[in-house]
Amino acid sequence: MMNTLASIFVVIGLFFMVVGALGLIRLPDFYTRVHASGKCDTMGEGMMLLGFILYEGTSLIAVKMFLLVLFIFITSPTAVHAIMNVAHTCGTEPWKIGDERR
Amino acid sequence: MSQYIVTFAVLIFFWYILSGYLEPFYIGAGIICCAIVTLISTDLLFLSNETSVLRSVGTFIRFIGYLPRLILAIIIANFDVAYRVLHPRMPIDPGIITVDTPFKNDILRTAFANALTLTPGTVTVEVVGGRYTVHALVREAAEESLLREKDMQKSLAHVFGEGEE
Repeated sequence: MMNTLASIFVVIGLFFMVVGALGLIRLPDFYTRVHASGKCDTMGEGMMLLGFILYEGTSLIAVKMFLLVLFIFITSPTAVHAIMNVAHTCGTEPWKIGDERR
Repeated sequence: MSQYIVTFAVLIFFWYILSGYLEPFYIGAGIICCAIVTLISTDLLFLSNETSVLRSVGTFIRFIGYLPRLILAIIIANFDVAYRVLHPRMPIDPGIITVDTPFKNDILRTAFANALTLTPGTVTVEVVGGRYTVHALVREAAEESLLREKDMQKSLAHVFGEGEE
């Protein structure tokens, strides 16, 4: 029962990771790509780790993985913001509808 | 003084979680290391202007109460991005918008910037004072949801005990 639940979470996480990678290829410019990788990776990692926690059950390793989820949810948006900020400061023009893909 | 005690308690808790040993040698080494780190960097955990430990703990508890709503918003935002990426014609209309907030507290500003990055199809690009420059994947939808987002602004302000102006 717990294993099924764990695999469901892992599969959801995998789905979001794949969507993040696909977005990285499909979306037209730097800013939109950061959207895909930033959001979907955070969610995907969180879901997969949640699945691993359920699989592991109550142990110290599960607590460690929970802390991992917590820190990913704090650091990932911060890193995304740092990357975006650098691009903005360097004057990267955002893509608009009708522009060419970059 | 109580700041040092709380910092030390948090650090020794982490030490135990990460090491997993309860033998006297490891715990002793942990106590020495945590004491040194506590002496050096207590002001990183408790900002010097926030003197009351009790207030920090209250903020922390209210923040945990706010988390479920944030996680729900994150899940919705993720499905939105997934839909837009997987849709054959990619219905996106990116643009940059600015959001004004009355926030003064640095932690509150950080929390709101991270919430904006994870939630409604937006990424925080720049924060100057209380003004957020935000890149949105779908401009109109983001503007709409940022009006709704006043909700999130208010609840975050409540979490950190800062009144609306």
